[in-house]
Amino acid sequence: MIPHIESGVHGFDELGNFKGGGGIPENTVTLIYGPPKTGKSIFSYQFAYHGLIIEEPCLYMLIDYTMKDLKQNMMEFGFNMERYLENDNFHVINAVTTNREDLMVDSEVYRYSSVKNPIDIMVKVGEGASLVHKKNPRFRAVIDSLTTLLLYNENMLIVRILKAYIMRIKAAGGTVIITYTEGSTDSNKETMIKSMVDNIIRLDGEYLTIEAMKGMGKRRAPYNITDKGMVVGKGIL
Amino acid sequence: MIKKSHIPKLDDFLDGGIPEGTSVLFCAYPGIGSETFGYQILNGRLQEGDKGFIFTNVAEPSSIIYEFNKYGWDLEKNIDEENVFFVDGSSYFIGSPVMGKYSIENYSQIKEVVKKAINDVPSGVGVINNLSTLVDYLGVEETLETIHEWNEFAKLNKTVLIYIFTKWDYEEQFIDEIKSSVDCLVNVNTIEDRVIIGQGFMVVSSSWTTPSNEMALFFIIQPGGVRIYIPKILVTGPHNAGKSTFVKAISKKSVSVDRKALGKFKTTIAMDIGHMEYKGFVADVFGTPGQERFDLILDVLAKEAVGAFILVDSTLPETFARAKEMISKCKAEAIPKIIVANKTDLPGALTTEKIREIMKLGSDIPIVPASAREKIGINEAMDAFLALLYRD
Amino acid sequence: MRLCVESGVPGFDDLGYSDLGCGIPENTVTLIYGPPKTGKSIFSHQFAYHGLLNGESCLCILTDYGINELKQNMMGFGWFLETQIQNDMFYVIDAISRLTGDVFPDSNTYKLTSLNDPADMMVKVGIGTRFVLKRSDDFRSVFDSLTTSLAFNPDKLVIRFYRAYMHRLKEARGTAIVNYTEGVASDVVENAIKSVSDNIIRLDGEYLTIERMGGLKNIKAPYRITDKGVTVEKE
Repeated sequence: MIPHIESGVHGFDELGNFKGGGGIPENTVTLIYGPPKTGKSIFSYQFAYHGLIIEEPCLYMLIDYTMKDLKQNMMEFGFNMERYLENDNFHVINAVTTNREDLMVDSEVYRYSSVKNPIDIMVKVGEGASLVHKKNPRFRAVIDSLTTLLLYNENMLIVRILKAYIMRIKAAGGTVIITYTEGSTDSNKETMIKSMVDNIIRLDGEYLTIEAMKGMGKRRAPYNITDKGMVVGKGIL
Repeated sequence: MIKKSHIPKLDDFLDGGIPEGTSVLFCAYPGIGSETFGYQILNGRLQEGDKGFIFTNVAEPSSIIYEFNKYGWDLEKNIDEENVFFVDGSSYFIGSPVMGKYSIENYSQIKEVVKKAINDVPSGVGVINNLSTLVDYLGVEETLETIHEWNEFAKLNKTVLIYIFTKWDYEEQFIDEIKSSVDCLVNVNTIEDRVIIGQGFMVVSSSWTTPSNEMALFFIIQPGGVRIYIPKILVTGPHNAGKSTFVKAISKKSVSVDRKALGKFKTTIAMDIGHMEYKGFVADVFGTPGQERFDLILDVLAKEAVGAFILVDSTLPETFARAKEMISKCKAEAIPKIIVANKTDLPGALTTEKIREIMKLGSDIPIVPASAREKIGINEAMDAFLALLYRD
Repeated sequence: MRLCVESGVPGFDDLGYSDLGCGIPENTVTLIYGPPKTGKSIFSHQFAYHGLLNGESCLCILTDYGINELKQNMMGFGWFLETQIQNDMFYVIDAISRLTGDVFPDSNTYKLTSLNDPADMMVKVGIGTRFVLKRSDDFRSVFDSLTTSLAFNPDKLVIRFYRAYMHRLKEARGTAIVNYTEGVASDVVENAIKSVSDNIIRLDGEYLTIERMGGLKNIKAPYRITDKGVTVEKE
């Protein structure tokens, strides 16, 4: 009943075992959380890159690393970003560096903002969402990661802004991945963040746990990070 | 110097309007909006060529401009011409870009920023929307202190401050302190029975005039703003319960639009219309026909009524069923109503307890014994009615 | 006069007879709380939809998602609202969609308000109760949820609003469900929310517990979320 989109993560889409094919429910928000260095960003790279291959544009919020790092990180798994930056399907909101450091031209599809100015980020999200939507109403969006935004700003403000972000992207038809390092805000706000998303996936380094996903029950499966990216094994109920 | 409030009826209550440098608090019961009062005063003053500002912590400036448009008031033009500006204490908190001459990103800035705003509009007007939201951010003590400081500052600057306040479940003491912090208090009340069916405002206190204790019923229209209306009161009940006499008894003046019908009694076949003015409450009174063939008229009238007197003949229990039927027929179910047990002076009149028992009425509906002919119990009936209306 | 209303949640009404019969006591406010993603919203949708099928109008306050998402989610379970909306039986106060930045026109039964303007929300609740009561003498209300309100307002103000909402609903003799995500506010606030509510039901993902409801106390039963929504099973 609920349409799904392919996650791009090997083995993940088989976990759900849906009649109409697995994946991530379209037009929902998925929180990927867990301890540091467990592959959360890698999940979002695969999600974004797979979308680009099948011509679903992506609105990517760059927060933890520079564009140069992103390209390098993705290259490690053989994902070549250049052509998607050229064909304007990869939209970036760069909240990490200025254009002098980054060498990318500030353009319609490549916007600079600042991690310390979440309001400005939101303005660019609003513009970006409508632009991407025009290209393809089926699009993807990534925030990698919420952690750094929380670090630099009043946490409740970020919770509110996240709500606004979710409302905007969903209204535009997008499907969202948000990464978050557990414990980076107090437990009240962490619970609040979980309540705002539709799907919750936890990565602990060994297992991937689908704690909640629209239309299905809990799932758990081992995973590895290989040179192809994250590979998820057979699911355990 | 006194300036018009531009709210109909309010200027009468306030002896001409609002003197410069004073503060007015609109205190609204939850469920009734009072920001329209603030916006209407501001708009009126802008049209007179004065300057003003809006402090908002509940709506973004863009949506306030939109609201003004719906009322037919052009705020945008006044902003462009620098007659009015915003102190935007809302946008930042919900993650939108701030707009306006001043903006607030932290509640600790509010006091000083609003003082700057007051300073910018000498002899003008500032609207503070919303004071109650401020309370839970700043705490009671700091809110009171802030208001005092603003009011002092506004007085020196001859700026009028209009506070919009929602009376949530605060401690009584705090409400009293808030009320005594301002020069003038206007209560915005609801008239309700299960649901809100009407709203009225009343000047409770004012430092420059003695309040009249009169309540003005209003509705809000777009475009237009606050509009006063004279409420309709229904007097109904079974045939020959004494409705015409009762209408005459509670009215300063009344007319009977009737003609003599056949039969023993003089019967209302059109209706009795009166005008009631009692303890500041003004209403048009409609005595409706009792016979079933006029139920349609009852229906029409009941839609605009804010309350009803249901008359029964205390000596005729056999008519009570009809009275009950009329209560539900005239939708009096959903308006405040009291039962007037008429003809209580006649032999065989039942007690109010007995009447309540026979009619199976809940204790929430008052029953007042009266004799419309002998003018007994008329004031008591009106007092009970007003108590019900104002929910004292 | 009825004393209880049917919840619309399969298995729930059989959990036990309270002092008032089975189902949810009429003219009360029931708090449904629990961790995120345990089916609280779905429960409240079932409650609303069941009432609509019985000809009871519904006053719905949305703070977590807008009207479109509500329709989408309910459609996922085969619960269609269009007829009820056309018949003016379903009244929505949408406190969140303004955040999308788009403009939605108000209609007879659809009012926009803002989360950070509880006074205006309450005005819309006032108009809404009047409207739904005209449509049917028995009506239901769903408030989904207190959670997001707590991100946009001081805790105290949320509780004040909740009390005012309860008062308004009970005056109008409606029956309401209010959702809240356990753990988003401090213990003090959480306890205040619980103590204000008439009935309390907790959903933890596996078990549904009636902590308090019309004389019932601590009744626990397993539940699942199926294509029929929340389904309470026999122990």
